[in-house]
Amino acid sequence: MTNATIQEIEGIDDYWGPAFRSVYEGEGGHEAFVQQLDERIKQHDKEIEKLCNFYYQGFIDSIRELLQVRSHAEELHAEISNVDSNVKETTESLCSRAEELIRARRVELNIAATIEKMELCLPLLTTYSKLKTQVDAKRYYPALKTLEQLEHVLLPRVGPYNWCAQISADIPRLRQAIRDASMADLRDFLENIRKLSPQVGTMALKQTQDMLGRSLANIVKNKKDSMLGISGKDNSGAQCPHELVDFSPLHRCLHIHSVLGAKNDFIQYYRAQRKQQARLVLIPETGNLHDSIQGMKSYLSAVLGFFILEEHLLTTGAGLVSKDWLLDTWSMSVTKVASTLRTSTSLITDPTLMLSIKHQIMLFINTIKCYGLPTDPLPLLLQEMAEHYTEVLMQRWVGVFRDILDNASFLPIEVENQEEYDGVMDTFPYDGDELETQPFPRKFPFSAMVPAVYVQVKEFIYAWLKYSAGLGLGGGRRAAAARHSASLLLSRSFTGCLSALFRRPLPLMQLVQIIVDTQYLEDATSFLYEFISNITGSELVTTQAAGSMFQSARDDAEQQICNNLEKKVDEFLDLENYDWLLVEPTGQASAFVTDMLSYLSGVLTSLEQLPERARVAAVRAATNRIATRLRNLLLEPGVRQVSSGALHQLDLDVIQCEQFAAGEPVPGLREGELLEHFAALRQLLDLITGWDWSSYLHDVGIEGGKYALVTPRDAATLLEKLKEAEQKSSVFSVLKKNERDRRKLLDTVLKQLKQLQNQDG
Amino acid sequence: MAKTYDYLFKLLLIGDSGVGKTSILFRFSEDAFNISFISTIGIDFKIRTIDLDGKKVKLQIWDTAGQERFRTITTAYYRGSMGIMLVYDVTNEKSFENIKNWIRNIEENASADVEKMILGNKCDLDAKRQVSKERGEQLAIEYQIKFVETSAKDSLNVEYAFYTLARDIKAKMEKKQEASNPPGARSGAHQLRANEQQRKPTSWLSRCSVL
Repeated sequence: MTNATIQEIEGIDDYWGPAFRSVYEGEGGHEAFVQQLDERIKQHDKEIEKLCNFYYQGFIDSIRELLQVRSHAEELHAEISNVDSNVKETTESLCSRAEELIRARRVELNIAATIEKMELCLPLLTTYSKLKTQVDAKRYYPALKTLEQLEHVLLPRVGPYNWCAQISADIPRLRQAIRDASMADLRDFLENIRKLSPQVGTMALKQTQDMLGRSLANIVKNKKDSMLGISGKDNSGAQCPHELVDFSPLHRCLHIHSVLGAKNDFIQYYRAQRKQQARLVLIPETGNLHDSIQGMKSYLSAVLGFFILEEHLLTTGAGLVSKDWLLDTWSMSVTKVASTLRTSTSLITDPTLMLSIKHQIMLFINTIKCYGLPTDPLPLLLQEMAEHYTEVLMQRWVGVFRDILDNASFLPIEVENQEEYDGVMDTFPYDGDELETQPFPRKFPFSAMVPAVYVQVKEFIYAWLKYSAGLGLGGGRRAAAARHSASLLLSRSFTGCLSALFRRPLPLMQLVQIIVDTQYLEDATSFLYEFISNITGSELVTTQAAGSMFQSARDDAEQQICNNLEKKVDEFLDLENYDWLLVEPTGQASAFVTDMLSYLSGVLTSLEQLPERARVAAVRAATNRIATRLRNLLLEPGVRQVSSGALHQLDLDVIQCEQFAAGEPVPGLREGELLEHFAALRQLLDLITGWDWSSYLHDVGIEGGKYALVTPRDAATLLEKLKEAEQKSSVFSVLKKNERDRRKLLDTVLKQLKQLQNQDG
Repeated sequence: MAKTYDYLFKLLLIGDSGVGKTSILFRFSEDAFNISFISTIGIDFKIRTIDLDGKKVKLQIWDTAGQERFRTITTAYYRGSMGIMLVYDVTNEKSFENIKNWIRNIEENASADVEKMILGNKCDLDAKRQVSKERGEQLAIEYQIKFVETSAKDSLNVEYAFYTLARDIKAKMEKKQEASNPPGARSGAHQLRANEQQRKPTSWLSRCSVL
């Protein structure tokens, strides 16, 4: 039992409760157990003793060995210290080197980093310097591009350095500078093209002229010339007019502005500038364009040059010039040009200058057409100028005509020999068949004025046609206009000169010759028309009746002839020397009357060249004048008394005149027409000499009566004179009976006449 | 009615074509000269009133065409003429020689008592002269006619010539009047006529010669 419990305690580490219980409750009590336990302890002690005895030797050996190890350890320690110091010694340099190395590596790394950074900065800097050089070299557009690169690519990449900020700050300034500089360039350019545009225009005009004058012959000739090297023209120059101008500043400027985002502003600016320039160009430099062709040329060249350049800019695009803007500016300008030209040309009096100006304007128009610009209203201007040109020519020819007329003798041309004859026939179309057969000296019916004027009209037509050449008018229209102008020249200018001629009195014969001459000139107009159609190459038009072309001049001449004759009649009548108290008529007509009538018939025969109408008018005027003057003589208040003798003498004279009138002094008169002029006088004389008062007083106021043309006043006036004369003659003598009766009758008639007069008021 | 003149003398200019008859007349009537030659066609006249010894004398001067073809027209005027100017051109020998023919013409056509005068015109053209003044003088004396050299261009002796001729006509006429008139009633034919009832042959005569 106690054994088992010790075993149990020995076998079980914990849970010793039950063992203790058994011990406590067991048979022998706890002394047995303590005995057994002591025994057990003595047993274990014996066993420990046995064991220690067994291992004691080994222990001593171990301690001995341990002491050995201790020395060894000490040895080792020394050795190790030694080695350690050795190592320490040797590694010290190494360590310093390593540290050095570390530092170097760090520097190296730093350098690499710096280089990296610097490499980033470098393009910026080179770009910046490039920018600077570009700006300096005025290559603004690349500069601007560089600037942009700098701003947007390079700068952000580099980082926030101070200098970068500076550069950044510099960028707007640079941009402005570039803008300013490019503007300056533009101004230079504008100035430059202002200078060049006349040259451009001149060149364009010249090219147009060359082109217009292009013909096979010319081309061949030019070719030959150039092959022979005659034309030393340098072909190095520009081929096109606009090539004279270097547009690059403009384009650069445009690019710059478009880069700057101010393209529209720039375009506006450019257009505004050019518009201003256009205004300047449109004001002629010389002021007086009509002074010389040179001024006109340079003016047109300048205008043309301006628009050629604009047109070029339109075609080269870039939007700098729009079609609308160009057309707008052009229409403004062309109106101004037209008005300038109009004012200038209207002052010109030199036809040659006008011709050259017209040529220039034509060239201008053609060139304008080449550049696709509308030409209106220039063609209209040319037409107006044509009218003015005609005016100028007419004025010039007025001078020519005046010269011709001033120096004209108005005598028929007389030629002494064939040569002279041919000379006249060559200049004037005259059907000389009849004259051809006559012996020299031959006499033409017209005066030298006729061929002279005819030649001058031809000259005028030549000059006139010079203007219309190249105007693009058809031959027919040209011819019609030329005919119109020529007939205007004759009917207005020449007739005007003729009329001026009539302002001073001309001898009768000259007047006659003028009328004859105008007839020949008029007949020659059909030849002039033929001439016109020949040189204009159009069909002959003969419809226009030229009949009345010189009518007014002829009327003037005829009037002058009439005046002339009337004046002569007056001169004769001023010689009148009537003795109003004549007792017996002489039985002969008065001298001045016979002289006058023979003079008149002489003159009228020498007027035979005149057209019938003119002769009739002349003789009418003369007879009418005679009748009026004679009648006035009779009724003249200054003549107080008229004796019946004087009355008979006057009657005799009137009869002479009536005979002349009845004798049809010129052909073409109505039967008895001239006599009508004397009718009033005749009735008065018949009434008084026939003493036919009863029928007069009976018929008075009745139409178609025998004395219808005698007014009571005239009858009374004459009767009074008669009475006065009779009273005078009978103042000393005693009146006979029949004389008394006569006196009585006379008084009655007078009274009646007075009454009639009063009735008439 | 007041008369505008006391006497009317009809004068005639004759001579070759181109001697200057019209120019002389033009100078006398208008006191002007025209260099260009315009030959007279047929006949023309000019009137100028001059004053002679207080009398108004109207000169009706007939200018004739010198050209042969107008001869018939012009000779008709010889008869009524009271004075005839025979004109030649001192630079034209022929015109001078023809003076004799013109005188014969006068003798044939004009009234016998017509006053005559010879004018040597264009005496300003001394360089071209063909007829000396002495020869003119000689001829004039031969025919018992007055003579003077004239220049229409320079207005030399033209007035003188006409006045002389007019004066001679007037003297001749007054002499005739006196011969056929009582001595108390000399001249003043018109005044007489105006005052007297009786027609005087004197005034008749003066008018007759006008014919």
